Amino acid sequence: MQASNIFSPRKLIVTIVFVVVTLLISPLALAAVHNISLTAETLPNGQVAYAMAGNEAVIPGPTIFVKKGDTVNVSLTNNTGIKIGFKVPDLKQSDSGKINPGKTRSYKLKASNEGSFVYHGNSNGKELLGLFGAIIVDKAHGPIDSYVNADGSIIPVNSDDVDKQFVLFMVGSTFWGTEISGDGIQQKPLWANPDPGAIENNIVRFHILSIGPGHTFHLHAHRWLKKDTSEVIDVKLLKEKTDTHSFTVKAGTGVGTGSWQYHCHLMSHMEAGMHGSFKVDPIGGDGASVVGASPYGRILLGTKDEPGLVTFEITDEPASWFRSARGDAIIGLPLDIKTKSLEVIAPGSSVNFIMSDTNGVHTMSTLLWPTGAHHMPFTQTSAYKGGGIVKLDTPGLYVFTCKVHPYMFGAVIVDDPDTNGLDLGNPAQEFKIDLVTGIQGLPTNSDLAIRLLRIFFVATSPVNWQDYSSGLWNVRFPTIPVRISGEPSGGIRDGGFAASLSILNVVDAPLAAPIPPLTPGVGEVWVNTQFEKTSGKTKPGTITVLDAETWQIKRKIALPEINMNNPHNMWSNRDQSIIFQTQWFDNKLTLIKRENGKLIKNIQVGNSPSHVMTQPSNDDITIAINGENGIMVIPAGTTTISKMMPTQALGHTSANPHGHWISSDGRIVTPNINTDDVGIYTANGTIEHRTAIGNKAPGAHPIAIGLMPDASKAYASNLLHHTVSVVNGDTGALLKTIDLIADYNPIAGTFADNDGNGNIAVGVLPIQIPVSPDGKAAVVAATGGQIVIIDTKTDTIVKMLPCDPGCHGANFGAKQGGGYYAYVTSKFSNRIIVVDVDPNGDGDLSDATIAGDISMVADASVAKDDAISSLAGFGGQGILAVPNVYNGWVQNLPEDWKAGLTAAQKNPIGD
Amino acid sequence: MLFQSNRAEDDIKLIKNTNITSMSQRSIIKRVAAIFALTLTLSTLVVNSTSFAAGHIIQLTAEETQDDGFGNKLLAYKMINHKVDGVDITSRYSPEATIPGPTIELTEGDTVKISIANAIPGNNIFVPGISKQVSIHVHGVHYDILSDGTLKVINKNLDEGAGAGFEETYVVYEYQWNVAPGTAGTWPYHDHNFETHNGSEHKGLFGAIIVNPIGVPSHDKEYVLYLGDDAFWGMEINGTSKTQSKHGANPTFAATKNSNVRFHLIALGTDIHTFKLNGYKWIDPGTTNFINQIAIGPLEKHVFSVIAKNSAHYKDDNFSNKLLGMRGKFLVH
Repeated sequence: MQASNIFSPRKLIVTIVFVVVTLLISPLALAAVHNISLTAETLPNGQVAYAMAGNEAVIPGPTIFVKKGDTVNVSLTNNTGIKIGFKVPDLKQSDSGKINPGKTRSYKLKASNEGSFVYHGNSNGKELLGLFGAIIVDKAHGPIDSYVNADGSIIPVNSDDVDKQFVLFMVGSTFWGTEISGDGIQQKPLWANPDPGAIENNIVRFHILSIGPGHTFHLHAHRWLKKDTSEVIDVKLLKEKTDTHSFTVKAGTGVGTGSWQYHCHLMSHMEAGMHGSFKVDPIGGDGASVVGASPYGRILLGTKDEPGLVTFEITDEPASWFRSARGDAIIGLPLDIKTKSLEVIAPGSSVNFIMSDTNGVHTMSTLLWPTGAHHMPFTQTSAYKGGGIVKLDTPGLYVFTCKVHPYMFGAVIVDDPDTNGLDLGNPAQEFKIDLVTGIQGLPTNSDLAIRLLRIFFVATSPVNWQDYSSGLWNVRFPTIPVRISGEPSGGIRDGGFAASLSILNVVDAPLAAPIPPLTPGVGEVWVNTQFEKTSGKTKPGTITVLDAETWQIKRKIALPEINMNNPHNMWSNRDQSIIFQTQWFDNKLTLIKRENGKLIKNIQVGNSPSHVMTQPSNDDITIAINGENGIMVIPAGTTTISKMMPTQALGHTSANPHGHWISSDGRIVTPNINTDDVGIYTANGTIEHRTAIGNKAPGAHPIAIGLMPDASKAYASNLLHHTVSVVNGDTGALLKTIDLIADYNPIAGTFADNDGNGNIAVGVLPIQIPVSPDGKAAVVAATGGQIVIIDTKTDTIVKMLPCDPGCHGANFGAKQGGGYYAYVTSKFSNRIIVVDVDPNGDGDLSDATIAGDISMVADASVAKDDAISSLAGFGGQGILAVPNVYNGWVQNLPEDWKAGLTAAQKNPIGD
Repeated sequence: MLFQSNRAEDDIKLIKNTNITSMSQRSIIKRVAAIFALTLTLSTLVVNSTSFAAGHIIQLTAEETQDDGFGNKLLAYKMINHKVDGVDITSRYSPEATIPGPTIELTEGDTVKISIANAIPGNNIFVPGISKQVSIHVHGVHYDILSDGTLKVINKNLDEGAGAGFEETYVVYEYQWNVAPGTAGTWPYHDHNFETHNGSEHKGLFGAIIVNPIGVPSHDKEYVLYLGDDAFWGMEINGTSKTQSKHGANPTFAATKNSNVRFHLIALGTDIHTFKLNGYKWIDPGTTNFINQIAIGPLEKHVFSVIAKNSAHYKDDNFSNKLLGMRGKFLVH
């Protein structure tokens, strides 16, 4: 786009002088009263920040310096669009109430303790977007600190000894800095991840503060006194919620000049970019700081000509998992971006992530990037709480995801402002992109690239989802022109093909009303409609209970009393009286009474629990802790975890298991998304095998397991590798890799029977892969919108059936009169599909067919514990048929549940 | 000298960028000379200020180790040689590469020249965007910018490690530490250069230095205990013989009743921990307060002494780590 259109630069005002306080000397004591007038403002990138009245809003907010015993009166005017407040958790405060947009309120503080204190906006996580600052309370008289000199002596520091001060706020995985003169009067924002500067032997006071998850602060080659002790340290813990640590150093003492790194020392935060440098210049140098990335800088509609910053909030909110801080505003702009998860920046600007609206752990990992871009991929070894920051220099499209929740998408287009059209690939590399799975130089006009783009715009924009209650499907892409690989055309002279993305639009495609199967199923089908929203809670997700005899929705369970968050996968206990429910974006397992849908207990089990299953032998509950490194075990009949079984050897990379399966003799098989292998474990947790899958491709991402009823073979679906690995259940040997996209030409988008199996079938981005209880078929739900049937006799694909966008969950239940139905869910539609893998029961799966489909939208007559407010019936993921008819479980059913089953269903693999 | 090889100078291969062109030896030598002059001045000052100062010459290497049985490996440091004022004390260390790495005992006023070699397969093959280097980045003591043990992208000078870095390749890299007054304490050292500029301290490349003040009373046993993301990693040092043993995960420590023992805690990785030694209280360093637990985050250190009275468990109260069995025995008999 033209520079004037997008990045409209204005001149930066470098230094802001704050006239901070009005001093009113109390007649009774030396204590002063400070009257401070603050406003809260929305910044160009959508972040929110405090401003000293009349000045530019800054992050961190203005630093307030007072003396012990002083009183601070703050008058705050809220010029943002959200409800905010002003809270100092560790000082006495008369009022910490919140104020609506447009209102003003006064807060009174007593600086009764010495130290550094966090003030913040007290607004349900939104304060992490920039509403935080420091109050420094110093002693009224005498030295305010000490430093450790080169010779080891401890030198007291008076306030007029200080040459300069830096506030560094540790928030998410980003440092937010301010440079302040020794006397506290001049304050200059250094923004995100700056390089603070000083001259050798300067006396420099650092105020390190944190809000949100905990950190450790480390500065290379310097040491200082731990507050209130005689202990010399060079790393300091800042505990979660809010914490502070101020210290003073003599710059470069004993070590000399240099670019000395400072960083958070949590490994995941280091990997997420949480670092900068303390520049100690030689005497005679300027000691100037280098300003970091600014919310006012060179981003789409930025206001200043300086390195810019866009910020994504990481959320539990459907579609907006990566939500631009200005997401609500950005889709309203004439630029027509259509999604809250896409941002546009100039080369050299940065992308910031903050996990401000999620209860889960995540990674911030690149899925694709422009060919030739530096320091790609960007990722972290293990999932964590925090955020991330990365500077992007090479033009083109970058798509970020979370490895734990791989449909969370955020995208950034780094655009050369001097050319027409947004660059989707690297202009210097013919607009090509690289994928994390090792595909390099993929043209952006290829069918695969366009499919990936379509998946992004569908996943991140609910108006593009398939709503079967409307009867029509529309997918609308932005109208802004983009530059992709291909011949110059359309008046573009400098390479690349410019077209409006909206040429991909789907307009009024008919969606046929669901028609249930003619033959009923047995019992109930429990569906995690994970994105369905209800009015009584802030977090999304319901359970839709379907009567398989009538195909009517029996009940919607939202559990507003526990704010049930993204219910993802279920299992039942032996007598089918209790349903176990994981909350994948949270840390809980929920026990629900099957008969009436009432809550029994909500149990903390670890970060981002994904799947739950029982041990067939003893009914113990096993929960895959997808955000961590093991399987939690809750003994049958109890609600307390007895142990966590590690999924990897001590000290080794976390496996992060997702959708495990258990054999009838109790062996646990896990797909390890973080180590790209399949783990086979004994019931007591011994690691028997670790089988590398995906042909050693990086990031193959095995996500779910299906097991033969006799556990002779395990099937792992490799999400990003579009393959299924077949593993020997006893030896762990990799038997076969079934390519689900062999019949697909990713460049031309053509289909042919390339694998010679007699039919054309593809499965893009495979997820769940259960094997039928009788062991005949493995059914793969592929998020690209396909259902793939694999014959387990030959381990070849025998059939492809159509599914919806975000096709995800699959599980088997009994069909009345014999045989099995595979129930299939889709995230971005509101129906389930019922597949009959072998309608005539002859063992030949080539006649596998869709027996029917059922709407997940409940009408007014359906029993509910909360009112459906939006996204009705959407988000289909985990699915469970009751009774549980898998081998090992079916034999343990109570007689009344067995009554509805045929003899073959009661004993699926015979004696 | 700062990055002088122990081998012939010709062995120091310098690779810059993808073109594998040698960096001008002259410019390197010039830089070395300047730095050498500078450090010489510094060392002279140090030597003059403390009469007991010792000079340490230490060689470490980094290797792959701890195969989990399925081909997944960790990394570890190994002590090759440690001489103090010419006296070889290498026998106090394990002859193997160990996790944790060697604990190096020093005294305030000492000087150290410590070099790193790289025995990880493929370390000398340059790959764009990936660092094959291993380094030693130490906490606490004094060193100049060429002994930071970081990559050039961080320190703006050199890829300060052994193996192929982002821009430069060294077979051996030597660091110089000034164990100046005021640096007493227990400090971690760790890799900062493997694969990315964050290094691989979470994959096993970590150890510690214990800097004792001059004339400090000795302890019967020293336990160096690292808090990782799923286990403790530890080692025991005999206070008399200085022999280091019991390296590994969740080690069992032994002490004689009423002996004087010292725990050196250092956290690593991403988790924040709460450490407890059941039934024991100790002084929070730098204060006069007795405590019975401590919150400790990655690369923080916490050192305390107790009189061994009763057998106990040391453990971490972190939610998942506790369930993973992150604990060990402290046996007193």
